[in-house]
Amino acid sequence: METYDYKAEERKRFLKYFRVWIILAAIAVIAFGVMKLMHKDDAQGLGGRNNDVAPTQRVYDFAEVLTDAEEERLTELIATCEKKGKCDLVLVTINKEMGISDYDWERNMMNYADDFYDQNAFGYNAPYGDGALLLDNWYHAGQSDSQAGCWLSTSGSLEYAIGASEEKNVFRAFDDGLEISTEEGYARALKKVAQYGMDEGDLGVEQLPWPGILVIPVIVAIIYALVNMKQAPGKDTTTATTYVPGGQPMMRGRKDEFLRKNVTKVKIETSSSSSGRSSHGGGSYGHHVSSGGHSHGGGGHRR
Amino acid sequence: MIFKCKNCGGNTIYSPEKKMMVCPFCDGENDYVRKDKETSYGLEVCPECGGTIPVEQFDSSMKCPYCDNYVIFNERVEGDYLPRFVIPFELGKEKCKGLLRDKFKRFTFAPADFLSEARLEAMQGVYVPFWFYDYKTNAVFEGEGTKVRSWVSGSYRYTETSYYAVVRDMDIPFEKLPADASIKMPDSIMDLMEPFDYSKLTDFKPEYLSGFQSEYYNMPAEEIEGRARKKMEDDANAILRGSISGYASVIKNSQSISVMDRKTNYGLMPVWKYIYQYKDKEYPFYVNGETGKIIGNAPLSKGKVWGYSLTLWFLLTVILASFNGILGLL
Repeated sequence: METYDYKAEERKRFLKYFRVWIILAAIAVIAFGVMKLMHKDDAQGLGGRNNDVAPTQRVYDFAEVLTDAEEERLTELIATCEKKGKCDLVLVTINKEMGISDYDWERNMMNYADDFYDQNAFGYNAPYGDGALLLDNWYHAGQSDSQAGCWLSTSGSLEYAIGASEEKNVFRAFDDGLEISTEEGYARALKKVAQYGMDEGDLGVEQLPWPGILVIPVIVAIIYALVNMKQAPGKDTTTATTYVPGGQPMMRGRKDEFLRKNVTKVKIETSSSSSGRSSHGGGSYGHHVSSGGHSHGGGGHRR
Repeated sequence: MIFKCKNCGGNTIYSPEKKMMVCPFCDGENDYVRKDKETSYGLEVCPECGGTIPVEQFDSSMKCPYCDNYVIFNERVEGDYLPRFVIPFELGKEKCKGLLRDKFKRFTFAPADFLSEARLEAMQGVYVPFWFYDYKTNAVFEGEGTKVRSWVSGSYRYTETSYYAVVRDMDIPFEKLPADASIKMPDSIMDLMEPFDYSKLTDFKPEYLSGFQSEYYNMPAEEIEGRARKKMEDDANAILRGSISGYASVIKNSQSISVMDRKTNYGLMPVWKYIYQYKDKEYPFYVNGETGKIIGNAPLSKGKVWGYSLTLWFLLTVILASFNGILGLL
């Protein structure tokens, strides 16, 4: 008598069912492994940071708005972002009078940031090379004569990668983070700058949050299970006229008689809205040459 | 009664494929005699072998478990129990097996032997008793419909609403609205078996029952007429609604569906029944023996579903994690 190996058949069916998924997973793992190996080579010197002149310090908290622990965490974050963005990232906080008028303030902030960058010869690929400096002034912050605000000075490839709209995004990230903490504001702004640093103008791709990586498959698997457990025994395939000979009733009377009508009129309101974030002055200065003779880009944002 | 082959004496049965009586033993076609049992015998006594047939209250034909002959109980297919018409089986067992396999072959989570030949062989053809109701109805709807149009002129938006008196008066004849008259068969499943193709309706002959199980009606037509009435009223409502169009809204003022004339008939409809046992539970499947429509839920191995779900979760996590890792390295 012929015996039927159900288990073998089940295994075959299982592998057939998931063959595409298994191939995709294998490709993803292999691709990740290859990339990891390439990245290792990269970290060992191929295409790494190439500037030994600039100091290793990246966080200069002259305004003393950060704790030591915060400075340490930001330094670590900057190290990671610099590798990804292939650019030097410098954070400078000050508490300095920079001028009341927007014009004076912007000029002074720009000069301070550019000069700081140049004097320290920052640049990922070379002195005065690829990088950005975020200067944050806390002078009389929160007071009526506040000169608080930040300035982003860009150099090298970042000068071209970060235009006026990108600057806005950086400052927006900064403001959003600032609502949580000063450290978070700097962290978000610097991450944003690093993103723009990737491949000069390529916005890069943000990683998915790791909790999402774990949660999304769980949700998909649960939906999959629920959908497959649900079955309908069959569909009703009769229609209203299935049992009416010829499919048509005999109409004895049909009336669609006009009775009355009414007309209403409504004035069309033209809306003029004013909304958006409040501006605190500042703006983009485009490309310019610093007192040290090096080209910079950048823009500011008063608060 | 039993139908016997003139050539070999075997039990002649109705073949859906050949649409005639055939002898499965000598392949003789339409060459048979009808053998009626002695009237002194009880209903449960097989006229061929004398064995006791486990006949139940409404059975009108069944297979003798001892001699495998199909016995048709004369008393239950004649007189008051004579069906007015029947749709003979159009689809044979092999065809129905194929239909079931086609429908469920992609159903991954059924047990492996669900569609095995051994299991499907147990499929049984059954003639199910139905009452058929004819209604001559008159349906009247009266209501008010609105049509709306709007336009802009200057700085104003104008909206014009027109009101109409809407009346529909129609005669709707319903013919052979079916309702199964078998207690064994679930009403909801038998409703889903519809529609049958009435062009295949034919006068009843007991020959059609040879080779199949059958019942006569389990209850009088009046007892289950409520189901047919509801179908009729739902359909009449839908026809009335379908005849009114072009309005933005319609408010019903009055509606009536009156039955002018009513007639009932008793008939037999062909259904293949397959019962699959899985983990002490029965999973019945029904196949319309005329149209091939299949009704039934396949058994589900929950362990298998969760196993597949976990595999999907694992593979998806690996893919996303690797992808994320790649993004991190870019």
